[in-house]
Amino acid sequence: MASEAEVRGQVVVGAPVPAPRESRGWLWSTLVGLGILALIGILAPLAGDFGVLRMWTLIVMYIVLAQGWNFIGGFVGYAAFGNVVFFGIGAYSVGIFLLNGKPFLLGVAAGFVAAGLFAFLLGLPVLRLRGHYFAIATLGIAEALGEFIAAKDIGGPGGEVSLTPPGGGLGVFTLFFYAFLGLAVLTLLGTTLLTRSRFGYALVAIRENEEAAESLGIATYWYKVGAFVLSALPTAIAGGLWAYWSLGFEPGGEGGAFDVNISVAMVLMTFLGGAGTIVGPVLGAIIIEWLDLQTTLSATQIHGPLLGLLIVLVTLFLPQGLIRLVQELVPGASGTGERLSWSAQLRRGMRRVRRFIAANGV
Amino acid sequence: MALASVAVGQIVVNFLLVGCFYAALGVGFSLVWGIMNIVNLAHGALLIVGAYVSYWLFTQVHIDPFVAIFLTMIVLFAVGWVIQYLIINRVIRGPLLVTFMLTFGLDLLITNLVQLFFTGNIRSINVPYANVAVTIGETRIPFVNVAVALVAVGLTVALAQFLTRTRTGNAILATGMDSDAARLMGISVRRTYALTFALGAALAGAAGAMLAMTLQFQPVDSGKYTLYAFVIVALGGLGTPYGALAGGFVFSLAETVAAYIPGIGVSLEIAVAFAVLVLVLILRPNGILGKAYYS
Repeated sequence: MASEAEVRGQVVVGAPVPAPRESRGWLWSTLVGLGILALIGILAPLAGDFGVLRMWTLIVMYIVLAQGWNFIGGFVGYAAFGNVVFFGIGAYSVGIFLLNGKPFLLGVAAGFVAAGLFAFLLGLPVLRLRGHYFAIATLGIAEALGEFIAAKDIGGPGGEVSLTPPGGGLGVFTLFFYAFLGLAVLTLLGTTLLTRSRFGYALVAIRENEEAAESLGIATYWYKVGAFVLSALPTAIAGGLWAYWSLGFEPGGEGGAFDVNISVAMVLMTFLGGAGTIVGPVLGAIIIEWLDLQTTLSATQIHGPLLGLLIVLVTLFLPQGLIRLVQELVPGASGTGERLSWSAQLRRGMRRVRRFIAANGV
Repeated sequence: MALASVAVGQIVVNFLLVGCFYAALGVGFSLVWGIMNIVNLAHGALLIVGAYVSYWLFTQVHIDPFVAIFLTMIVLFAVGWVIQYLIINRVIRGPLLVTFMLTFGLDLLITNLVQLFFTGNIRSINVPYANVAVTIGETRIPFVNVAVALVAVGLTVALAQFLTRTRTGNAILATGMDSDAARLMGISVRRTYALTFALGAALAGAAGAMLAMTLQFQPVDSGKYTLYAFVIVALGGLGTPYGALAGGFVFSLAETVAAYIPGIGVSLEIAVAFAVLVLVLILRPNGILGKAYYS
């Protein structure tokens, strides 16, 4: 998205071409993202309420998951529908380590390594597939691994893991919250680095046109495998933290460590915010997880249909995400250079937003 | 191998009967995917709707379940037409993930609405002639399952004939090959897509009615059947309805055999099916009978 704006900014027909100015969009995006996370970090524990803290812990966890998915789904544009498998691997590593009396952090590290290895070994065959086939192969592997764990009674009968609480009440859960938050910050910085690096450019080139990228000498296959591993790593840590935080979990089904809805949530959140952007997954995760938790609490009956309707509306009317709307709203991307008052700029921006939404078929 | 200790005849019969049902499950999915290049994640939801429609027709209106199959197809045809014309046509040329998310959202919406109106209870149709069966030695062949299998194969053959023998069918195939060229030849692409999706929905509905007759069903099953449909179609390959038939038998075979291999058992049958799928995808990306005649 940013590269498009840069190109448009540089080519102004009929005017003397100004010296190409490097876009600072990435810097602003990172600062906005860090600002949002800092705000959550300050405000959420202030309430001192267990329910509020729990809600924001889940939201921050989904920020990490959406950011992780963004590496393969947003940057490379591959429809990975089974990223929950890395979450599950992280969760079960911690579960097995804790059940055997090993330290928690060692379990997280083991999950990190195991998920990275798994992503590498899995990526070798499945990243030769494209499109729908890739999507369903990843989905199927997540389902199959969940079923395998249940059938082999790993971690307990039917794969059901129950852990002893760490003790320490609210304080410990605040610690978990900050652990998730730190992970989200690290992933955000990682995303920024990626958008500015040769590696990231290669991934975007694959998304835009894989054959062209290959013909320009990019080893697309290995870049894709790299992106797949990269997307597995934060997801596995989040899974490990979640395992101890939630104290008990099952492999499959709703709320399980291999729940297909987690994969779907990653995709939906990244989409709503803006795939392949820095702040997009953060925004999308906050909006969707917040809505989801609110409707689960207050309107359990219509929670499911509402979520379905939301997905339909988002994909119909905002297929390029909220960030794209913001880009249309904020002047500068169009690069005409004329000075306008704030209100005129806002009006012009709103007009562009309306036109943009209309173009998507409202 | 523990195969010797169980009745081989019964296994073979079950494998064949289930395979035919799987063909019915996959054939509509294969049509929509092959012609429109859309993986319809709402296929399972349409199937569940079909199951409920036929259940309702049987319990409330007292229509014979085999007649109900065809009434269900008509209802689902209309539903499919509306969904395609109003919703999916908007994103038909969109990127893969958009159609994926959209149909997933539809699946969630439909499944939850069904659950809201009909509750999540497990149901099934108690066919009046459920106990009619032919017994050969140790092998029992229930009449209902055989009739269902015949209807499933009949529908697959009918679809193949319709696509190759009629003008409308040819229009659908032509649109699937090259929608721009089809438009230049005077085919209304929008209408053809609506017709294709409606046919796919009708076939899903028929499979749902068959499901209601032979097994139990509940709204949350929709995701499972969508996955099955995908595996079946990917195994058999796109391009012809007979691919779904082949895929149905392969999937049924993998499931049946896996259940009798020591150390794997019934609880891992989905994992085995997916292992087979991934292997087939990697070794033979176009499926067993597939030819990639569309992009």
